[in-house]
Amino acid sequence: MVLTDTLHCHIVNCMDTKIFDNWTSQLRKGVLELCILNDIRNRKMYGYEIVRRLRKIEGLIISEGSIYPILSRLKRQGLVETSIQESPEGPARKYYKLTQEGEDMVSRMNTYWQAISGVTDSIEKG
Amino acid sequence: MMVTFSESAQRNLRDYLRQARQCLRGSKSVDADEVEQNITEHIESELEGVSEPVSCDDLNAVLQKLGSPQQWVPADELPWWRKIIFRLRNGPEDWRLAYISFGLLVLGCGLPWTLGVFVLASFIVSRAALSEAGDTSVLKGQRWLLYPSLIIVYAFVLLVLLTWPLLPLIPLADEFEHVFRESSSRFDEDRILGISIVAAGLGLWWTVLGLIFLKPRRVLRIFFNPFADELCSKWPLRLLLVGLGLMILSVSACVLYYKYII
Repeated sequence: MVLTDTLHCHIVNCMDTKIFDNWTSQLRKGVLELCILNDIRNRKMYGYEIVRRLRKIEGLIISEGSIYPILSRLKRQGLVETSIQESPEGPARKYYKLTQEGEDMVSRMNTYWQAISGVTDSIEKG
Repeated sequence: MMVTFSESAQRNLRDYLRQARQCLRGSKSVDADEVEQNITEHIESELEGVSEPVSCDDLNAVLQKLGSPQQWVPADELPWWRKIIFRLRNGPEDWRLAYISFGLLVLGCGLPWTLGVFVLASFIVSRAALSEAGDTSVLKGQRWLLYPSLIIVYAFVLLVLLTWPLLPLIPLADEFEHVFRESSSRFDEDRILGISIVAAGLGLWWTVLGLIFLKPRRVLRIFFNPFADELCSKWPLRLLLVGLGLMILSVSACVLYYKYII
């Protein structure tokens, strides 16, 4: 009886963890993109610089390498553009900055995010 | 800035970049060269200040934080052939097993001598996929990959089940043919009797089979999963009726034979 209860608890806990992991993973994808866009909104940055800033946010990045394909995709989508600049510390660096289209998109995303988080907060508070 | 790596670290880095290239290649949304360049820059920046040549442990710590390149590109952005490889490698099981099942079937068709073995193997993998999925309604595209081998095996089993009473007649086929040819010029009552006896046996068997399929459905549901519902809904009754009809006709023919011919 104790064994089956323990086993049941273990299975339920495993399922809970799996559900939570799936949920955070899906949420993280969208939020990470928003964070990247907001990060380069005010000034242009190079890839490693973006990673260094975002890694400080706990739980946001699981694998740091995933930021680079996102940057590449945002570039292909026309939301960011790149420029090469010489660096005093070494070889030239590729800097990312928002395009006008990216600027409009991040404004819309922020508005949507604020609306969603506002609604979530009000539901949570009852 | 150029970082010098130890021999083993250099090998690890080469492997990692090759893996990254493989994962990014073919992605519609990502420029693989750009990402590789960024990754290389990232590694060099992270290892700045580390004593050179950079050891395997130092490099691995950086690579671990970068994560597996397989996580970088969402599976739905990959081209179809990469999706297949990705699903074969990483699952989920319902897709992995579906591809394996279909692959085995295709392989079997390419090697006719071992067709039976491959079809059977494909059938077992398909059944494993069905068990894994639990509810077959969750299977969508996978059905096209899983069902062919199931249909082949079930059709074969059903054919054997329906016609096995005729099997003992196969060795006698030549003899029958010979007798029929000799007596083809005239109306042969014996021929009608022979056919009637065989048809009555077949009718009896189909009646029994119809009854079996009508009642103990659990075994059949397990065996003919996922087609058991279709199989057990209308067909048993039809088979029962056809079997009864055949049996009545055949027995009537035999009765007539004994009454009027003998």
